[in-house]
Amino acid sequence: MKKVLMGNHAASQAVKLARVKMIAAYPITPQTQIVEELSEMCGSGALDAKFLKVESEHSAMASCIAASATGVRAFTATSANGLALMHELLHWAAGARLPLVMVNVNRAMAPGWNIWCDQSDSLSQRDTGWLQFYVEDNQEVLDTVLMAYAIAEKVLLPVMVCYDAFFLSHTYEPVDIPAQQEVDKWLPEHKRDFILDTNNPKSLNALVMPDLYMEMRYKLEQAHQAAIPLVNETGASFYKAFGRRYHAVEAIHCEDAEVVLVTSSSTTSPARLVIEEMRNRGIKIGLVKIRMFRPFPVEDVCRILCGKKKAVVIDRNFSFGKGGIFADEIRGALCNETHRPLVYGYIAGLGGRDITPELVREIVEEACQTKHPPSLALWKGLIK
Amino acid sequence: MSNEHIVKYKNLSEMPEVVISSSTMLWNHTGSWRYIRPRYVNKVPPCNQGCPAGNDIENFVGLIQQGKTEEAFMVLKEENPFPRTCGRVCYHPCETACNRARFDRSVAINALERFAGDHAPKNYTIKKQRPDSGKRVAIIGSGPCGLAAAYHLSRLGHSVTVYEKLDRPGGLLRYGIPEYRLPKDVLDSEINDIIKLGVDIQCRKEVGKDIGWQGLKEFDAVLIATGVHKNKKLGIENETALGVVAGLELLKSIAQKMPLDLGPKTVVIGGGNTAIDAARCALRLGSEATILYHRSRAEMPAFVDELDEAEKEGVVFNILSQPVRVITENGRATGIEMRKTRLGDPDESGRRRPEPVPDSEFVVPASTIVTAIGESPDLAFLPPDVLLKWGKIIIEKFGLTKHPGVFAGGDVALAEQNVAVAIGSGKAASMAIDAYLNGADINSAAERLVIGNHGQASMSAYLKTGNAHSNNRSSKMVVPFEDINLNHFEKFERSKIPKLKLADRKQNFNEVHRGITKSAALLDANRCFHCGVCTMCDNCFVFCPDISITHSPNKWGYDINYDFCKGCGICVKECPRSAMIMEDEK
Repeated sequence: MKKVLMGNHAASQAVKLARVKMIAAYPITPQTQIVEELSEMCGSGALDAKFLKVESEHSAMASCIAASATGVRAFTATSANGLALMHELLHWAAGARLPLVMVNVNRAMAPGWNIWCDQSDSLSQRDTGWLQFYVEDNQEVLDTVLMAYAIAEKVLLPVMVCYDAFFLSHTYEPVDIPAQQEVDKWLPEHKRDFILDTNNPKSLNALVMPDLYMEMRYKLEQAHQAAIPLVNETGASFYKAFGRRYHAVEAIHCEDAEVVLVTSSSTTSPARLVIEEMRNRGIKIGLVKIRMFRPFPVEDVCRILCGKKKAVVIDRNFSFGKGGIFADEIRGALCNETHRPLVYGYIAGLGGRDITPELVREIVEEACQTKHPPSLALWKGLIK
Repeated sequence: MSNEHIVKYKNLSEMPEVVISSSTMLWNHTGSWRYIRPRYVNKVPPCNQGCPAGNDIENFVGLIQQGKTEEAFMVLKEENPFPRTCGRVCYHPCETACNRARFDRSVAINALERFAGDHAPKNYTIKKQRPDSGKRVAIIGSGPCGLAAAYHLSRLGHSVTVYEKLDRPGGLLRYGIPEYRLPKDVLDSEINDIIKLGVDIQCRKEVGKDIGWQGLKEFDAVLIATGVHKNKKLGIENETALGVVAGLELLKSIAQKMPLDLGPKTVVIGGGNTAIDAARCALRLGSEATILYHRSRAEMPAFVDELDEAEKEGVVFNILSQPVRVITENGRATGIEMRKTRLGDPDESGRRRPEPVPDSEFVVPASTIVTAIGESPDLAFLPPDVLLKWGKIIIEKFGLTKHPGVFAGGDVALAEQNVAVAIGSGKAASMAIDAYLNGADINSAAERLVIGNHGQASMSAYLKTGNAHSNNRSSKMVVPFEDINLNHFEKFERSKIPKLKLADRKQNFNEVHRGITKSAALLDANRCFHCGVCTMCDNCFVFCPDISITHSPNKWGYDINYDFCKGCGICVKECPRSAMIMEDEK
């Protein structure tokens, strides 16, 4: 059934469809509407789940960890400083191999206080062991939350679904909501071996000595690597069930392209307009949308970008003292390839500033005209 | 654990995904880490300690909350034969003690007591607690103290005779408290319960006149509960003139349906409850009423609520003035000369002492002057070996006098004169008498009987009839406000006591305060914190991080599995009502 939904309600509808059993949350703009609607569903009985009001995001994640440890589906949502407060427990959730799902609505970190879009919050959690997806529109929000549970429960890793504050969270778009029975068929109840069971109490997540800790970490990495093909397989099975196809990386008009624009999240939408228009003018340009950031799809990226002249990366985030984070990941992925393109790193749209088609076009044209990329990121649209 | 239990993994794939023990951890008694332990302890709610009649308030309020009105009523009757009376006339110190008062407002305990009394089914029977003892007790006076003692002594198996000098039993309850505060059919229903137990109330039998002190020798014990009747004199000129009457005389005349003729303008001297009652009665008899009092309104000993009602009804308060002389014409009072006063330093009662203002005399015209500055006992009938102080009988706790077998209680012996205190002292005396008749000393049990640290004696503690899920009647742990976990309570408006409209109070003695409805009673009972008493709210069960608190089948309360309780104390902290304690490990 198609409905016009804001991104946040697309997320809460997905959580309902996934028959999540425990939601713990602390409100923060711009995610609050997600858990607000979920609390109403729990209150009315539309969703048979426990809704736990907690005193902080740290407690929200702790509660999700505990719930997930008992074997049920758990969910929380947060943004920016709320996510930062969870940091310690993000490591814990991944290390304990708990398949819980969290939505992070990408919001700028303070100070100065800013509630608008910026990816730096979730990208700062890169090394916590979570899978991370960055999605482009409201339909993809709903679909990715559903796929997130399927993937998480297969590889036993937590998944973070990220989307842009206000551009998606508060913007209404038509969203196809699948029927519950279809979702039940595709995403049946999950059973697993290692759960917290008060009738058979075991010691969980206890001390591990140097003789085994490294092995535990290695197994966690194996799970990440296993997730890469699994994401595409899950996308294919989702397509079969619901008619919408998703990959870890989406390549648009890349076959004949000499220059490839690389984007993530909602920035991809204006980029689609710009490359269509440029191609109509005869410019050989393509677009890559990086949907999965962790595990990083190194092979896909190399396969698509090698042989191109230039890769132009737009980052709505920044790693201070270095540069745009997607650009750096792409450089790292390509560095040992012989036919690697030049990588141009652009910073735009921090703190909710618009990334308009005009700005995207300006970035691409500038990169096309610049022979060699500078070593540092190029900040676009700054007050002169 | 020895080394042979350590698992060695041959390769990576053999290792589990998560850090988990290969078998149960039940062998690991984490309770051994504990150095303090939680324990369920029912304590004393402050209302119970504050009740001069020693009622089990928390218990009866809880029963109302559960819709068990009759059981609530029987809990009250266990300690006090007069719940319907007290539900109307008690000054409810329990509500002052109520911890809820510091959160929003105290629980409307007095209204709930009246609700239980008025709404319980009327076909109950008061059971005797013990078989006939063959012992006989004489009680002098059928006021609240005498009748409370008669009730309890009869239930304890003794044969009781009460001597009352007036025509009907009740004492001050009948002759001193006006009908608009205490309808006499309410009082009669409660006295009937006492008569039904077999108590012999002999009216128009005044000890010292109709029967001598020596005549009481045939009894095994005697309780003196004659109250205070002798009107204190003003000590001014013309005090005996026609038209000057005592407050209690006026009230008694109304109770006997032969009200004194007051004329158009009544002046009442005094600021206690008798003075206020006299003034309000005068209004109802069609006279104007003015109260003259030598201090300010704040120093008046009458209950504040009564003062407020009197003022609303139209009683004029002429404060800071003292009487100088009664003005007479042909031997009849026509007015009173007064003198202005101002307040000086506090006296021994803590109230500021009135000092006369020179040359400030003024005259208040009056058709009747009512004097109500206090009453004293009339103890002419007593043998000389019963010791007196300030005109009252000297008693120890529980009403013991120096004279073996002679006990006293109520206003005749106590400085604090009010109904609930008198009822409590009658009950305490009944325990002392029962112990005396059994050859025991009540003082040896005092510690166990006193509710909290300074409350009244508890009959259920005396008879050891408490139940496990009620508060502990013998405990000395009284729950302070600070021990209530307010996070678990919401503010909620207190029930309003309905009152008769002012226009409907004229020319009649209809009851002013009305009972609250059943829904109001349930809502107000729900406000009770149940300080120190487990209500099985499940908070401890929910919060225990070690899953060491369990429900016990068919049993009130919870069990703690000390094998795994680490002594974190969260259960104690999260108990809303402080019904748990932490103790050092032994």
